[in-house]
Amino acid sequence: MKANIPTDREIVPNQVLSSLFTNKRIWTWIGIALIFLFFLLPIYRLVALSFQQNDSFSLANYTSVLQDATTWTVIQNTIVIVIGSTAISVSLGISLAWLVAYTDLRAKKLMQIFIILPFVIPSYISTLAWTQFLGANGLFQQLVALFPFPVPAINLYSLVGIIFVLGLSHYPLVYLLSVSVLRKIPRELEQASRVSGASRWTTFRKVTIPLALPGIASGGFLAFLANLDNFGIPAFLGIPANISVLSTYIYQQVVGFGPTAFATAATLSVILGVIALLGTFIQWLLLRKSKRIETTIEDKQPRYFLGKKKLFIEIALWCFFLLTSIVPLVSMGMTSLLSAYGVDFTLENISLKNYQFVLDTSPKAKQAMVNSVKLALITTVIGILVGTAFAYYRIRKPNHLNKWAEISIGLPYALPGTVMGLSMIFAWMEPIPGWNPGIYGSVIILFIAYLTRFLILQVRGSITAVMQVDVSMEEAAQVSGSNGWSKWRKILIPLLLPGVLSGAFLVFLTSLTELTVSSLLWSSNSETIGVVIFGYEQAGYSTYSTAFSSLIVGLIILGFIVLYILEYFWNRKGLKQA
Amino acid sequence: MTAVIKELQKRFGKFEALKKISLDIENGEFIAILGPSGCGKTTLLRLLAGFDSPTYGSIHISGTEVGNINTTLPPEKRNIGMVFQSFALWPHLNVKEHIKFPLVHHRFADKKMDINKRIKEVLDITELTSFAERMPSELSGGQKQRVALGRAIAPQPDLLLMDEPLSNLDAELRMEMRREIQQIHRLTKATIIYVTHDQSEALAMADRIVVMNQGRIEQVGTPREIYSYPKTEFVASFVGKANLIKGTWHENYFEPELASNLKWTDLGVSEELKKRNIYPLRPEQIALTNDNEGIPGIITSVQYQGKEIHYTVQTQNQSWVVHTEIWQAFQLGESVHVQMKQEQAKLEVKEEKIVSY
Ligand SMILES: Nc1ncnc2c1ncn2[C@@H]1O[C@H](COP(=O)(O)OP(=O)(O)O)[C@@H](O)[C@H]1O
Ligand SMILES: [Mg+2]
Repeated sequence: MKANIPTDREIVPNQVLSSLFTNKRIWTWIGIALIFLFFLLPIYRLVALSFQQNDSFSLANYTSVLQDATTWTVIQNTIVIVIGSTAISVSLGISLAWLVAYTDLRAKKLMQIFIILPFVIPSYISTLAWTQFLGANGLFQQLVALFPFPVPAINLYSLVGIIFVLGLSHYPLVYLLSVSVLRKIPRELEQASRVSGASRWTTFRKVTIPLALPGIASGGFLAFLANLDNFGIPAFLGIPANISVLSTYIYQQVVGFGPTAFATAATLSVILGVIALLGTFIQWLLLRKSKRIETTIEDKQPRYFLGKKKLFIEIALWCFFLLTSIVPLVSMGMTSLLSAYGVDFTLENISLKNYQFVLDTSPKAKQAMVNSVKLALITTVIGILVGTAFAYYRIRKPNHLNKWAEISIGLPYALPGTVMGLSMIFAWMEPIPGWNPGIYGSVIILFIAYLTRFLILQVRGSITAVMQVDVSMEEAAQVSGSNGWSKWRKILIPLLLPGVLSGAFLVFLTSLTELTVSSLLWSSNSETIGVVIFGYEQAGYSTYSTAFSSLIVGLIILGFIVLYILEYFWNRKGLKQA
Repeated sequence: MTAVIKELQKRFGKFEALKKISLDIENGEFIAILGPSGCGKTTLLRLLAGFDSPTYGSIHISGTEVGNINTTLPPEKRNIGMVFQSFALWPHLNVKEHIKFPLVHHRFADKKMDINKRIKEVLDITELTSFAERMPSELSGGQKQRVALGRAIAPQPDLLLMDEPLSNLDAELRMEMRREIQQIHRLTKATIIYVTHDQSEALAMADRIVVMNQGRIEQVGTPREIYSYPKTEFVASFVGKANLIKGTWHENYFEPELASNLKWTDLGVSEELKKRNIYPLRPEQIALTNDNEGIPGIITSVQYQGKEIHYTVQTQNQSWVVHTEIWQAFQLGESVHVQMKQEQAKLEVKEEKIVSY
C-alpha cells in the first residue's frame, strides 16, 4: 500500500478548481482595472463630453443639436431606413429559414453558402458591386436593353437604394438565428397539435411561430442594430446624394473639423448610442419572457414536402441567389477589368492595369493591405489568448463580477461603430488630461479600438467552445493526475480548438475589412483596406476601388476554401464528438 | 487504504447538502453509497475526490488528513481513480490513449512500470483489446463504460470512486457490468466507493452499504443487515420496499392495529421502529388468503410479473404491496385477508442465527 501522500497543501476554491486561478486576488483587481480602462472609460468620456461646455456641465450641446433642423432630417432618415431595411431582412430571413429548415428542398448546404455570402463580404464592397450592377453601363442595363419595352434605370443613390442594399446585406443574421431555432423545435410538438385537430396553418401560427420567436426576435434585433450601425452603405450611397443618417452625419462632423465638431459629434453619438442600447434592452426584455426550447438537437429531416411546387421554388430561389449574390460581384469584377471607367466591356477594353496599380504602382494600397493584415493578425492572436482565458473563467467559475465583465466587454460591440470610434478618440487622444502620447494619429489607436470592439466576438466563440466540454472531462484528467499545463495541452486545447478558431476566424475577417471605426481613426500611415477603398470611391476612381474590392473578395473566398479543407481533415481525424 | 470521514458537512450557500456525517472505510472494502436522487451522494464523492472542499469536518485517507475547512489536497495529488456517470471520455483520444493518460500523469503510478505492458493488461481486463485504436465515437455504451473503468484502474489507485457508473446503460448491460466490476474489485483489491440509487445494485455488489437520505446517513451495514433488519422507516421502505404496518408493540410481539387478535413475532425489528409502533413487512413476507384470518382488504391492482404476482391491497387504513407466488391468483376487486407469512418467519429466525455481527 502506498501511503506517501505529499504534505504540500493547496488552498482550493470551493468550486471547480484550476491552478490557473487559485488564490490570485491581485489578478481580479488588475482585470477590473483593465476592463474599466478599456471598455467603460471611453464611453464615459464620450458621454461626459456631450454634457460639457467651457469645462462645466451644461445641456447646451443638446439644445443646439436638437434645435438644428438638419438633426431632425437625419434622425428621420435614420428611422425610415432602419425600419425599411429591417423589414426586408426579417421577411427574407424568416422565409428562407423556414424553407431550408422545414421543406425538402435539395442542395440546402450549397444554398446556405449563398445565403451567408452577403454576410461575409463587407457591406461597402457589396454596395460597390450593386452600384456597378445597376449603374449606367452595368449588366442590368445591358440585360434590360434586350427587352422590347423601356425599363427605367434604378437609382441606388437614394433612400430606397440604401434600404434595399442594407436589407439584402443583413438578412443572413435573421436567417442564421431562425434556422437553428426552427430545427430545434421537436416535430412531436407540431404533430401533437395536428392530432389535436389543428390544421397545418393553425399549427404554424400557434405552435411553430411562438416557439421560434426567440430566434426570430434576436435575429430581427441583430439586423436592426446592424442597419442602424452600418456606415459603409449610407456612406457610399447617401453621401453623394446628400442623404445623411446618424452614423454618416457624425462622421461628417468629425472630418469636417468645425469649431464645435467634437462636441456636436459626441452629442449625436449619445443619441445614436441610446437608440441602439434601447434596441438591445427591448430584445432582452422580449427574450427574458419567452420560453426556450429545451432540446439542443437540430432535426434536419424535412417536415413539409413541397411536391409539385418544389422545382418551381428551387428555380426561383436560385435566381434570387444568382441575382443578389453572384451577379453584382461579377459586375464589380467586370468594372475592375476596364481600362477606363465608363467604356464598354469589350475585349479591347479589358486590361489588368487596375490590378497592377493597386498591387504595384500605388504604395497606398499595398501599405493598407499590410496594415490591415497586421491589425487583424494581432487582434486575433491577442483575442484568442485573452478571450479564451476570460471565457474559461466565465463558464467554469461564474459569478457576478465576470458577468458584469462580459457585459462591459460586449458594450463597444453593441454600440454603433461611429460612436465607438469617437469614444476611442476622446479616451486615447489624451489618456491623462494634458498628456498626449501620440496614440491618436498612429496605428496604435486602431489596435486598441479593434481589440476593444472585437474581443467580445472571440469571447462568445470561446464560451460556446468551453460549454461544449463537460467539466467531467477536466475532472477525469485531474483524477488521472494531470492538472495545470498538461491538462490544457493534452485535453483542453485539443477539445477547445475548433470552437476557438471559428471565433478567431470571425475576428480576423471582421478586423481585416473593417471600415467604420478606421474611417474615424486612420492617419496618413495607418490607412486600412476599407479606408483606401472608400477613398478611391469618394475620389471617383471606381476602377481602382472595384479592383481592390475584387481582390479582397477573392482572398475571402480563398480563406473559406482553406478553412473548409482544414475542417474536412479535422473531422476525418475523428475529432468530432459522438 | 482506509478512509475516515469525521462530521463532514457541505453547504451550498444556505443549503446543507451533507449534514455532518461520519464514516469509516476499511482497506479493500467495496462500499455502496445508496440513496434517492438529490440526497448528497455525488457531493460526498466529490469531497472524497478533492473536487470540493468541506465546510466543516475532515477527511483522512490512509491516516493523512486530505481535506478540512481550510485546506484541500487536489484530486491529482490523491491516490484515486474515478469513473464518471457520463463516462467523461475525451473525444480526441482513442481507447489506448485513454488508458495511457493516467499511466503517464498519475503521481502514484509506479514509475518503473512498463507502460505498454500495463496498457495491454488493462485492455485485457476490460476486454477492449480489439478496440484499442477506436475513438470514443466509435464505441457502444458498454464499451465506453469499460474504457472509463480501464482509465480509472490503470494506475492501480488505492481508492476507486464510481458515481452511478451503470445508470447510462440498458438493463441487460447493467447486469453484465455488475459482474465485471465485482471481478475488478477481486483482481485489484482496491477500496471501492460506489454511488448508486438502485438498491438491487448495492445489495448485489457491496460488502457494506451506506444508506443516505437528505444529507444524512440512515444506516450502515452489510447488504443482509440493511435488507432484513432496517433501522429506520426510510431504510425499510427504500431498500426493502417494506409496508410500514401500524399497530402496537408489546414486550416481544406486535399487534396490528386492525387485527388485535394477531400476534406477530419480533424478527429483529429495530428499537426506533418499535418506538414508533411500526412493523416493517416486505411484500414477500405477506400472505393473501380467502379464509377469514388476518386483516380484511380489497385488491386494487394486479400486476402479473411472470415468476410472481404483485398486488396492491387496500385495507381500512393503508394500502399494502404484496408479492405472491404465481399459483395464487386473485381477481381485481376481490375481498381478501392479509397476514404475515408464517413459514417465512421461521426461515428468517433461522437465518438470524447464521448472520454474525
Ligand atoms: N454546486 C452546487 N450548488 C448548489 N447546490 C448543489 C450543488 N451541487 C449539489 N447541490 C445540491 O445538493 C444536493 C445533493 O446533490 P447531489 O450530491 O448531486 O445528489 P445525488 O445524491 O443525486 O448525487 C441537491 O439538492 C443539489 O441540488
Ligand atoms: Mg449524483
